[in-house]
Parts: sequence; C-alpha cells; structure tokens
Amino acid sequence: MLWAFLNRLLGSIGVLVMASIVLFALVHAIPVSPARVVLGMDASEDDIATFDHDNGLDRPVVAQYFSWAGNALRGQLGRSLVDDTSISRTLVQTLPVTVELVLWAFLLALVISVPLGIVSALYEDRWIDQLARGIATLGVSIPSFWLGLMLIAWGAVGLGWFPAGGDVPWRDGVGAHLRAMVLPAMALGLYYVAIISRMTRSSVGDVLLADHVRVSRAMGLPRGRLMVYVLRNALSPIVTVAAMSFGYMFGWALIVEHVFNIAGMSRALLNAILRRDYIVILDIVLVITALFLFANLVADLLYRLLDPRLAE
Amino acid sequence: MNRHIAMMGAIARRPAGRIGGIIVCLVLLVAIAAPLLAPYDPLAVNLSAKLLPPNAAHWLGTDQDGRDMVSRLIWGARPSLAVGLLAVAIGMFGGVTLGLTAAVIRGVWEQLAMRTMDGLASIPLLIWAIAIVGIVGVGPVELGGWSLPNESKIVLLVGILYMPPLARVAYGAALLEARAEYVQARRLQGARLWPVMLGDVLPNCLSPVIVQATLLIAVGIVVEASLSFVGLGVEPPAPSWGNMLADARQFIYSGAWWTYVFPGLAISITVIGFNLLGDALRDTLDPRKSAGAGRLVI
Repeated sequence: MLWAFLNRLLGSIGVLVMASIVLFALVHAIPVSPARVVLGMDASEDDIATFDHDNGLDRPVVAQYFSWAGNALRGQLGRSLVDDTSISRTLVQTLPVTVELVLWAFLLALVISVPLGIVSALYEDRWIDQLARGIATLGVSIPSFWLGLMLIAWGAVGLGWFPAGGDVPWRDGVGAHLRAMVLPAMALGLYYVAIISRMTRSSVGDVLLADHVRVSRAMGLPRGRLMVYVLRNALSPIVTVAAMSFGYMFGWALIVEHVFNIAGMSRALLNAILRRDYIVILDIVLVITALFLFANLVADLLYRLLDPRLAE
Repeated sequence: MNRHIAMMGAIARRPAGRIGGIIVCLVLLVAIAAPLLAPYDPLAVNLSAKLLPPNAAHWLGTDQDGRDMVSRLIWGARPSLAVGLLAVAIGMFGGVTLGLTAAVIRGVWEQLAMRTMDGLASIPLLIWAIAIVGIVGVGPVELGGWSLPNESKIVLLVGILYMPPLARVAYGAALLEARAEYVQARRLQGARLWPVMLGDVLPNCLSPVIVQATLLIAVGIVVEASLSFVGLGVEPPAPSWGNMLADARQFIYSGAWWTYVFPGLAISITVIGFNLLGDALRDTLDPRKSAGAGRLVI
C-alpha cells in the first residue's frame, strides 16, 4: 500500500520534472529572444547582450535550467523579465481566486451529480433516469465558455439576479461575494455534473446487480440499510473520478475566468502570453500541472483506501 | 463487409446512434461543401449591414462587421472538424502503434512505451495547449514551402496527448487477442508474427479504439473552440465558432443575441453528435453495462 503510493508519488515528481524540461527547452528554442520582446525591435545588439548578461540568459541552457529549478525548489519562482514583478507574488494573488472558483464548482457538481446518479441507477430507464442521461449528454457537450456567456445573458443581463462578472471581495459582504460566484461555478461545474453522475449511475447500477445485494433484498433487509451497503461498495470509482475531475477543473477554470473577467490565474497567464513573458507562462503552467498531478495522486490514494482488495 | 453493414444497422437502430450519425454526417457535409453552401463570402465586410438581426437576406443575421452569420458558421465548421479529426488521427496512429507493439514485443519496449504513456496521461490537456501556443506564439507555421495555420500547433499537441488513452485500449485488446486460440493456431501453422498481428490481431482490437476515438473528436472540437475563444486558436478574420464567440462577447449587453447564440449552438450540436455516436458505438460493440465508464474526463 505504502510502497504503491510512494511509487506513484515518485512517478508524479518524474512527470513534473520532465514537464519542466520540455517547457524550458521550448522556451529556449523560440527564435525570438526575451530581450527583443522587452527592449523592442529597434534595440541595438549591445543592449541585448547587456540585457542577456544581466538576466543570466547568456549562460548555457542547462545551467539556466538548474539555477531556475534550484530556485523553484526553494519556493522562489523568479521575476518577470518584462515588468520585474515577483512571480511568486503574482501567484499568491491569483491562485487563491482560481482555487476558490474550482472549489465552489466542485462542490456544486458533487451536490447535484451524486444524488442524480443514484436516483438514475435506482429507477433505470424511467423518466428520471432519461432526464439524468439527457442532462449528462448535454453537460459533456456544451462548452463551458459558451454556457458562461449564456448564463451571463440570462442571469445577469436578463434577470439581473447575479453580477455579470468581475471580482466581489469578501469584505463587500458574504452574500454579494457568493452571488458573484454562482454563475461561474455553474459554468465550470456542469461538465463535471455530467461526468460524475454518469459514473455514479454505472457504479451503483453494477452493485445493484451483485449477488450479495439480491440475497440481502430477498432476506428482507430494510431499503435504507441496503442502500448503505450498496453505496459503500459503489463509492471507490465515484471518488476516483471526482478527485480527477478536481484536477481537470483547473484547466477549464482559466477559460471560465476569462468569460467572467475574474482576476485569477487566467488573467496572469493570458497577460503573460500577450507580453511573451516566458518565465511567467512556464511557472504558471507548472503550478497548474503540479496541482493536477496532486489531484490524481489523491484520487489514486483514495481508491486504494476505499477498496481494500487493492491494498494487498 | 457484411459484418460492417450489420454493425452500422445495429448502431442505426439505437436512437442515440441514429441522431448522432445524422448530425455527424450533416456537419461533415457542410464542412466539405462550404464553398457551395455558403450564401456569402464569410470574410466580406459590409459596414452598412452591421449587426442585422435574422432576416430574409441573412437568415441568422450579421456580425459587427456586417459579415453573414450563416456563411461564417458554415466555414467555421472546417477548423473545428479539422482539429478534432486530425488530432484523433495522430493519436490513433501513435497510440495504436505503441499499444500493439508493446503487447506483441513485450519486455523493455513494453515497459518503456506504456510508462511513457502513463506520464503523458498525467499532463492536463487544455492548460498545455494554452501554454504551447502561448510560448511558440500565435501565427502560421512555416514548414518547407507550406504555411500551416496556427491551429496546427493545437492539432499536434492534442494528438500527442490523445495517444495514452488510445494506446491503453489498443494494448489491452491486443494482449487478449495475442493469447487467443486463432492466433496460436495461425502461428503453429507457420505464419510469421507480424502478418498475423497486422492482418488478424489489429482489426480485432480496433473496435474499442474507434469508440474512444469518436468521443475524443468531440473533446478536440471543444478544445479548439476554447483556444480560439481566448485568441490562441484560429486567427481572425478566418471564421471559427470559437473566435465568433470571442467577437460576440461584447454584444451580450446590447441584445444582439444571434451573434452569441448560434456559434455556441453549432459547437454544442456537433459535439452532441459525436458523443451520441460514440455512446451508441460503445453500446453496440461492448454491450456490457458500463455506460459512462469508458468516458474520459478532460
């Protein structure tokens, strides 16, 4: 159990290191030097040489990688080459915003999808199941950014119940803050309602057909007690897919933030892309990749904890 | 051949398969016949006809530059399908090659190939697509005498990240097939390894791969639209459903609903088509009760 987990942890770290090498190599393979971007197209060769020397860009790529990686391990992500702001500070400002959006969307998705999936499995092929499957098919097919636009048109412009976007800090009141999160969380969460409810339906459905459930039912076990056993047995694939969804949500959260004009990681990343601020792009992508790998690791751990058969 | 016709019949008997198949065929037809079907030039600016609501001349209205929405939607089908289909083609070619050879050769190659796939599978697709285009920069790719559009970067990256799920499915199926009696019998008759693998094992592993591939096309379409929406995909003025929505964002407050409703509907309907077709394919090819289990989280 512990061995398997350590193995996975080591694998995740390996992936992160490989990812950083690939991104670093890509940044350095670009023909446009960061100096050209910062100093402009009419900068002289001397200016560029000075800039490169000042920022350590004239050293071999491998040396640059190791100094970058060493600093990153100590928690120093370096400074933007374009405006010299600390990247760690940018992350401290924007990451909590993105994490909060993901958390709300995740919560929303769980609260809707799990009951929906259970009911769907219990009443297979009845109207409620047809409805749940319809929602699931729509949910995986409607792109989150369009859903976001439609939600703004409906809930903000049409009804005026919710703000159309932007950031409402907690100090403006809990109600106002939460209200501003409703539409973005819905836009981000619907896809995962579909994914998790489908998994719940199929997992609960499989367990309902198992022999031990039929025997328990035949022996007259109360329905409530029976459902506890069913859910306990159906839980591990649902938890796994939910934990993985949590990791994937960070990618889509960037698009949703862009739709709702939320000053999270998406703004930092898209600004960096616009300004060709390579080190910032690299750092943000690696942070999100690390979060994603962590979510997958948790998924794996929970799966092993919930299913004793795998622990051996 | 008869087997294929019978299978298509089985898919068409399912409502999901029928609806999905019709949508997919229609969208493919629209994309191929875009020059014949589009009533106007999708790039023709007409400032005297800005933001017209749907009317007899422009069935779905016009955008902020007076360009015909119907024509732009028809031409916009091309990049969406191109990205979805080409990325899956790359993923299928790479994934099936790796999965099949890993299952046949075994040993070090199996370890190397499948561990690499495990590593690739733990890369979040969307954020990496954004990062790669962000680092390389938006713009056409010059390759030899060819100028490939910006979205070819997305195709390549998404294609590579599609390999792991397809490789795993192919690998699993090929392992089972390689042990099957008919393969053993053919080998005992003196058939060489590779002809048996390519002629008998490969075709029999393809069904689960095709199911996954169909669902992945849907994902690719959404990824292209999302990147175009944030300005990292299809470059304007060329129309794509994603960049049409990016243009339309500003009209949510002014009531020009046709600018943001129709492109989103086009994406959603196309994606629903591929998802329904994929689900029907899975239910036909793999009738075990596993609805939803085969779907990838993205």
